[in-house]
Amino acid sequence: MKRVEVKLSLPVVAPLVDLIRELTIDLERSLAAPQALHDLDQDFRGAWIGELLEGQNGDLRSLLSLFDGEFFTVGVIAFDEKNAEPIVRACTALRLKLRESRLKALGDESLETGDVEMEGLDETTKTAFMCYLFLATVQELIIQHLDSTILGL
Amino acid sequence: MAESRSHTRTDARAATEVQLQDGWRVVVLNDPVNLMSYVVMVFKKVLGFDETKARKHMLEVHEQGRSVVWIGHRETAEAHVFTLQQWHLTAVLEPDEAR
Repeated sequence: MKRVEVKLSLPVVAPLVDLIRELTIDLERSLAAPQALHDLDQDFRGAWIGELLEGQNGDLRSLLSLFDGEFFTVGVIAFDEKNAEPIVRACTALRLKLRESRLKALGDESLETGDVEMEGLDETTKTAFMCYLFLATVQELIIQHLDSTILGL
Repeated sequence: MAESRSHTRTDARAATEVQLQDGWRVVVLNDPVNLMSYVVMVFKKVLGFDETKARKHMLEVHEQGRSVVWIGHRETAEAHVFTLQQWHLTAVLEPDEAR
């Protein structure tokens, strides 16, 4: 089984993990990307959203499991074919939530290009933006190294 | 592994042919968050696109704000929309009014 291990700097990542835990609580009851479901009847819509939410929560649990007690000893996270898919989805859910709840002031264009002056940001926004970039890096690592595995090709 | 890809592509082609009898579109809308590489990966995984087709639709979403990624029977279209939403893409179902 292909496995990718990444050594992270604990002092840098620990505050981001705290933020990820907060966002995960926020996401327990709401979808990261509320979807337009005009064409569905109300009962079906409820079941649809419930199932999406259940999947989202499962994905977030997979991501959080990377940052268990052992992580805070060795600073290593690992991806393989079992956890790659939920983690890559969880990263998206968290990035969407960060955009909506913590990074509105930066504007979508800056978020899309990543062209943000860090010096001008307050500490809360700076941490949120670093978290946004960290999650994108995790996604890129998985897609770059495990794409064929998670696609089952 | 390669065999499984071949099945996926065959299924996708068959589904595209079947859809001509019905008319619902699966449309993916742009968002500023999802990485281009992520969208390409999702299109390959969910819709069975090859790399070239996945990149073409991803660029359409990025540059034009939307891309029709599938047309066909309502039930299958709904299943695609659901799976794309599981991957947090903004996907909607539209009647294919061109028909």
